[in-house]
Amino acid sequence: MAAPSTRAGTLPETATTRPPRRFRAPRDLPRFALLCVLAIIFLAPVYWMLATSVKPEVDVISTPTQWIPANPTIDNYREVLTSPDGNILRWMWNSFFVATVFTVLHVALCALTAYPLARMRFPGREAIFWFILGSMMIPGIVTLIPSYLMMIRFDWINSFHSLIWPGMAGAFGVFLLRQFFLGLPRELEEAARLDGANSLQVLWHVILPLSLPSLVTLAVFSFMGSWNNFIWPTFVITDLDKLTLPVGVNTFSQRYVTDYGKLMASTAIASIPVLIAYLLAQRYLIEGLSTTGLKE
Amino acid sequence: MLAATFGAVPPQSVPESAVSLSVPGKAARPREARRRRGGREGGAITPYLYLLPFLLLFLVFVVYPVGYGLFVSLHRWDLLAETRPFVGLEYYRNLFDPETPQSQFFWNSMKNTGFFTLISVPLLIGASLGLALLLHRPIFGRAFFRSVFFLPGILTVSVMGILWRWMFDNQIGLVNAVRTDLLGLQPLPFLSTEGLAWVPVIVGTVWWTIGFNMTLYLAGLGNISQSYYEAAEIDGATPWAKFRFITWPLLAPVTLFVFVTTVLASFQLFGQTLVITSGGPNRTTQSTIQYITEEAFSNNQFSSASAMAFMFGLAMLIFTYLQFRIMARDARGEG
Repeated sequence: MAAPSTRAGTLPETATTRPPRRFRAPRDLPRFALLCVLAIIFLAPVYWMLATSVKPEVDVISTPTQWIPANPTIDNYREVLTSPDGNILRWMWNSFFVATVFTVLHVALCALTAYPLARMRFPGREAIFWFILGSMMIPGIVTLIPSYLMMIRFDWINSFHSLIWPGMAGAFGVFLLRQFFLGLPRELEEAARLDGANSLQVLWHVILPLSLPSLVTLAVFSFMGSWNNFIWPTFVITDLDKLTLPVGVNTFSQRYVTDYGKLMASTAIASIPVLIAYLLAQRYLIEGLSTTGLKE
Repeated sequence: MLAATFGAVPPQSVPESAVSLSVPGKAARPREARRRRGGREGGAITPYLYLLPFLLLFLVFVVYPVGYGLFVSLHRWDLLAETRPFVGLEYYRNLFDPETPQSQFFWNSMKNTGFFTLISVPLLIGASLGLALLLHRPIFGRAFFRSVFFLPGILTVSVMGILWRWMFDNQIGLVNAVRTDLLGLQPLPFLSTEGLAWVPVIVGTVWWTIGFNMTLYLAGLGNISQSYYEAAEIDGATPWAKFRFITWPLLAPVTLFVFVTTVLASFQLFGQTLVITSGGPNRTTQSTIQYITEEAFSNNQFSSASAMAFMFGLAMLIFTYLQFRIMARDARGEG
């Protein structure tokens, strides 16, 4: 594959005339085959989840293994959806509600905070910014127990307040938006100022419309972070009706132990809305991740 | 790399509505007023008003809990007791006294977490870079493959955990089904064997999180100018040499970022072992966070658990500091 060595000073024809990086079928076939094998391995657990979820219990534990469900049934789904041990659709709604409220408030709060940090000059600006950014050095486990004790005092155990407020002042969102705001051209802002806009109008009419990509990125990360939060809600929510989806599904895991037909039906139900959202919005998720270079 | 992607705003992304912005009716007067106050920032307290809501929440839910946690760890904290006497460093000393169950279980959990980090981080970096290299050059179905490798990452941790517990079920999980039905081997009781219980945890974690790192590497690869490779080809470089002397060094900032975030994520192992193995068998897969929460919420030893949390936070400090440095470099617009 290596290009033949050439004498210094003479460019080989191929280097300049060949269009770079084009798919060349015969040479790329092994790579394609490898990717297919890997994709099958990656999807196998998902297939197995769906296959198990439609098997009657006897077929789940039968040997030899039933690779393709012979007697597909929706009984597992029916039983999970009508389970007396918790309402999975309710948990899904709880998660959706909490994540939506959190995301809207968090993005708005971070925008309000990042704006003066990026676009105004005032005493203490740098100190405040580094103080906020420095909190990224505090791992969540350090604040878990005192925050829990605070929730008891606030009477927020089993309240959605405990899922919304403690994570609201996250430094990452401020950092992300500040970086983006810094890169915006000054001219538009100054033009708006000359037209008599006040700072809030500048934020709303100039900064935010220009910052939609970073706002969407932050919103996607915030929503996913809230939706997937597991440690914190495990301890601050114990009321079966108020659980979030990840915690609720885990209570099924402890209750049904090895009743894998039901467990796989519940994990499939829990994953369906996420899968749909992913298929619709993966562009934002993957591009957001690529352009910020940051993950949760 | 990071700064470059943050800084640039393509001019075509400026919407027309913003360009033709005008605030009708009150053009002249406020301008004069602002001029007289001397500066386009408006009133002197304006920026502080913007910062106020965030800073209030920040003080209450970030700064205060750190101090409060320290306070709790220095007192004997019992939710039901009337008094909460000061005990100094007793709960920290307990962690270094081999006689106490706390020190035994805490260091056991630290050893487990360290083991998990040591195994999973190289796997998660190497495998994700490998996937990214496979997917970087155009190939039929590239977007499809990228979606497939990223897909497990969107599942929530309890779903992922239940799924991998089922995959590695001692008797009839898919892995043992393949062993018995296709390969004619005995089933291996992964979940109840010390040591083997790590296999579902690590395989599941790699499957679950590889897509994130792969995406970061793909973005990094996309930022490497093609001209380097063309120059190397002229010099007759082998594919390995191109990787060793072009790709790998130019990916260094991405690798540093991936390394730090992956180490931190691995340190904070909780959901995977909780759901897949419950920390068993015999606490051999119990993570530090799982033990700290057990001490706090099952044993009601909030002070002891707080002391452990601070010790654990201290152990992570070098990596959280590195993460901070990466972001700080970005914030200053260097690198």
